[in-house]
Amino acid sequence: MVELKLSETGSGAEESEFSENEQEIANTSGGDDVSTGGVEHAPQDHGVTDNGDFQQEEDQNESDEDRHGVEESDSSEDEVAPLNTVGEVPLVWYKDEEHIGYDITGKKIKKKERQDKLDSFLASADDSKNWRKIYDEYNDEEVELTPHETKLIRKLLKGQAPHANFDPYAPYVDWFAWEDSKHPLSSAPEPKRRFIPSKWETKKVVQYVRAIRKGLIKFDKPKEEPRVYHLWGDDSSSKEKAAHGLAYIPAPKPKLPGHDESYNPSLEYIPTQEEINSYQLMFEEDRPKFIPKRFTSLRSVPAYEKAVSESFERCLDLYLCPRARKKRINIDPESLKPKLPSRKNLKPYPTTCYLEYRGHKGAVLSISTEASGEWIASGSSDGTVRVWEVETGRCLRIWELGEAVQHVAWNPSPDLPILAVSAGQDVFILNTGFGNEEDQKRVKVLLHVETHPEPDDSSQCNKASVVGWAQDARHEGVRLKHFKTVSSVEWHRKGDYFSTVMPTDILLAIKAILIHQLSKKVTQRIPFKLHGLPVSSTFHPTRSVFFVSTKKNVRVYDLLKQKLVKKLETGFREVSSIAIHPGGDNVIVGSRDGKMAWFDMDLSSQPYRVLKCHPKDITSVAFHRSYPLFASCSDDCTAYVFHGMVYSDLNQNPLIVPLEILRGHTSANGRGVMDCKFHPRQPWLFTAGADSVIRLFCH
Amino acid sequence: MDFDGDGEEFSRRVQVRFITKLQPPFKVPSTSIAIPSNLTRMGLSAIVNNLLLAGNADWKAEPFDFLINGELVRMSLEEFLLAKGISAEKILEIEYVKAVAPRREEDPSLHDDWVSAVDGSNPGFILTGCYDGLGRKLDKIWSCFKLCQLNRIWKSAGLCSHVLEGHGAAVTSVSIIKPKGLEGSTDIRVATASKDKTVRLWKVDVEGSSDHSKKVRAYKILPGHSASVQSVAAKPSGDMVCSGSWDCRINLWQTNELDKGGDLVSIKKRKKGDGDEETQLQGESVSTLVGHTQCVSSVVWPHNDTIYSASWDHSIRRWDVEMGKDSLNMFCGKVINCLDVGGESSSLIAAGGSDPILRIWDPRKPGSLAPIFQFSSHTSWISACKWHDKSWFHLVSASYDGKVMLWDLRTAWPLAVIESHKDKVLCADWWRGDSVVSGGADSKLLISSDISVQ
Repeated sequence: MVELKLSETGSGAEESEFSENEQEIANTSGGDDVSTGGVEHAPQDHGVTDNGDFQQEEDQNESDEDRHGVEESDSSEDEVAPLNTVGEVPLVWYKDEEHIGYDITGKKIKKKERQDKLDSFLASADDSKNWRKIYDEYNDEEVELTPHETKLIRKLLKGQAPHANFDPYAPYVDWFAWEDSKHPLSSAPEPKRRFIPSKWETKKVVQYVRAIRKGLIKFDKPKEEPRVYHLWGDDSSSKEKAAHGLAYIPAPKPKLPGHDESYNPSLEYIPTQEEINSYQLMFEEDRPKFIPKRFTSLRSVPAYEKAVSESFERCLDLYLCPRARKKRINIDPESLKPKLPSRKNLKPYPTTCYLEYRGHKGAVLSISTEASGEWIASGSSDGTVRVWEVETGRCLRIWELGEAVQHVAWNPSPDLPILAVSAGQDVFILNTGFGNEEDQKRVKVLLHVETHPEPDDSSQCNKASVVGWAQDARHEGVRLKHFKTVSSVEWHRKGDYFSTVMPTDILLAIKAILIHQLSKKVTQRIPFKLHGLPVSSTFHPTRSVFFVSTKKNVRVYDLLKQKLVKKLETGFREVSSIAIHPGGDNVIVGSRDGKMAWFDMDLSSQPYRVLKCHPKDITSVAFHRSYPLFASCSDDCTAYVFHGMVYSDLNQNPLIVPLEILRGHTSANGRGVMDCKFHPRQPWLFTAGADSVIRLFCH
Repeated sequence: MDFDGDGEEFSRRVQVRFITKLQPPFKVPSTSIAIPSNLTRMGLSAIVNNLLLAGNADWKAEPFDFLINGELVRMSLEEFLLAKGISAEKILEIEYVKAVAPRREEDPSLHDDWVSAVDGSNPGFILTGCYDGLGRKLDKIWSCFKLCQLNRIWKSAGLCSHVLEGHGAAVTSVSIIKPKGLEGSTDIRVATASKDKTVRLWKVDVEGSSDHSKKVRAYKILPGHSASVQSVAAKPSGDMVCSGSWDCRINLWQTNELDKGGDLVSIKKRKKGDGDEETQLQGESVSTLVGHTQCVSSVVWPHNDTIYSASWDHSIRRWDVEMGKDSLNMFCGKVINCLDVGGESSSLIAAGGSDPILRIWDPRKPGSLAPIFQFSSHTSWISACKWHDKSWFHLVSASYDGKVMLWDLRTAWPLAVIESHKDKVLCADWWRGDSVVSGGADSKLLISSDISVQ
């Protein structure tokens, strides 16, 4: 009754639905007088309403079936309440009864009257819809199937989905938007088993482990490496050949033919006549092997013209083919080069020529720098000696000596501004006139004292003397007359002794090198036997050691102990010049075959490095006094500047880096640069050219 | 020159206003005008000249130089604006100054030998030093000084008014001693350095007759160096000179005469051929600044208490005269031949040497000793560089490539190149503020005048 109250009060949306039910029920139940004042109940009983609703519906269905038969028969059996109220008992029990159960009011539900068979048959024969009719024995009624139901049955019989509106082939709509895969094999999420270790595998592993422990599974023993091997064996071929016969050498893969090798290539592949003519000028190796040609049809392609020659060459190849397999060493040639520091880090060194000293009329054969670096002196084949101001290029003094000046040398002592000059058979000691008054006085005394009294006496009393000392009035100097052409003059570091070299024949070789003492005006021969023609001589920069270079070798003598210290074997045909590192332990030697050798005297008598850079004779080599630089100049009109670092650490070898090629001189009479000298204090190089110019290269 | 007609073809135009600090005849109306943006300095100069001509019928064309935001225009206006990121939309203010370039060149005054030193600090005359003597007998090498006095500026050539005779070898440097407060004096004192290892001081009467060159003897000989003296500079107060030499030292000397000074002097009497006796003082150096390890090639004495020196040992030093110690030692990697101090508050150092680059340092800049400007249009060693004594921006440099160049700090290109020398230029200086005097190995003294430096 509560439900009824509810519906009567008409709460919410349900009201409209249930309003008719209510009336129906009211009709069926015969109109219960229900008070309408149950409004206050409604909220508390709300929770129960759902159940009530269902019951009501069932009731409604019951009442519907009374009137409309089985219209909504697709619902479950519970919903379609049977007319028969006897329950689940065999109908046989009611076989003889008139009624079948009772209805709710207690009246008997009567069975329908039985038509006899004939009538029913006739009726069915008349009725076109008879085939739809089914007799429901339980409910004792005849049911007529609706067309909808028949369709349903038919579908069931065919094994199709029963519902008419169900489309089994509806387009598939994925529940997840796949980004990558257009055709997912499965859209199912990854199963969990894929993330957990397999039990089966663990079992199998455990099984193997047990088997190994028990020794059921055995491994191969590790191969023993041969402890000795054939050191000189030809590992490339002999063993393999013995083992497997000739090794297989795959043939090189030929290049695939391109369009140009077609019988009818397009026009751009065809060379013009000019191009074909230009092939004739090429070397045979460079000529293209194949010249594309056009043919109108494949039929008109001639036979391969080189067929015979190529097969012959192939035969030759096979016949002359080496049977040994040679391994090519695959090394990057760059990696074999020694690692040298960058030139930028080795600055300063001379690079550019800014100043030229012009004035000589002939080739400048020799230059020499003054100790402070303010002046240079130069001797030329035009018979003059000139002194130049380094800073401005001004010629300060000229001496006319008459003969080609072979060699000039400033006295290394800063307070003795004198020059030693060799010209022809004479050696002149010239007073440059520089220096302060005291210096000049000393120089005057030095160049003056003994000269006029006994030029003859000195030669008489000193029998070894082969040189005449004489005052030279014209040039205000001393003149030493030699018996042969003097090629070079070198000062001792203290500026008192100097040596002269006369490249004479072997017989006179003993007199070829003389050492003169300026203060006492004495000349002496070196007490050593020379082997070969002397070329030049130098004093050691710090010790009393004397270097003499002959054409092939350099000999190092100790002047105090009077014995040969060392012999440096250059390996050159003709040595032209020699320079000593200011440290005294390294010597560079230039040769007429364009090579320069660096000797480390502590290392060996063989060159530490041989630098071959000049295509023509090296005329002079020079070391810088303070910077780690050395240079060579040559008849090819260039001078090379090198970085030559000598380390005080005896374990470290000298570092030699080529830095710069200095060009600028022009060739004259086949000679190029005749001499080069470094500025004593700046990283500058003076070069004297056969083109009668002296150049200064600055950093 | 119808620029408006030409202007139709150009698509881009710039609104500009010409301003100047020049005096009225050079002033143009300060209205803004639109000019084509591809004009260069020459075009701009033509426009300004046209504007001036419009206001003044008898105007003579004058080259101008143009400054935008303190930088000289050395390319087309369009490129300049693009390079400097200046908007072309706004009205551009272009300042114009008279172009700094010599407009006239005097006839060169020939010397007997190379002109190795020049000083133009006195507007009345030019002092030059010269190599001399090789033409003469070898036993008598001597050198002469020429004190060229120009009676009038525009006279075709300078006359040699005095010859300062006495040095035994080439003169390397000359300097006029300008004592303060004695500007009106006609007695000019001069210091010269020479390769004969002495510094000599001379007294010259400028008012003397200029018909023939008068011979002058030094009143004081300063023999203290043991090698060639390369450079001499006078103290601004005038009572001392300093000299740099090949013996690596800088010597300071008193300039006063015997009666005034208390320093050690000796009198050297010398007999001349005709019997009259002349006295010459010999001075000893007051003090010696030791520190350089090679030839001191250039000394400058800009203030009373500081000396700047440059040396072949690749360093530039600033010496405190009182202390006798170097307060600044800049190493620059190259041999330095010339040095000058000037520019902004006369503290910038300009130096050139054994490479074609003229470098300018600012020693006040903390931290780095990198040059703030580098001018590299020369092709050989730089032999001289001088600041303009009024302008902060202008420099003259001379080089062994035979060129004298005028520089402005506001542009990297030379303002003007004087190529009249046939050989190395050995010296150059400003004279009278508007001329450049230069001497070289072609034995000529060139005066390039009428340079308008503000």
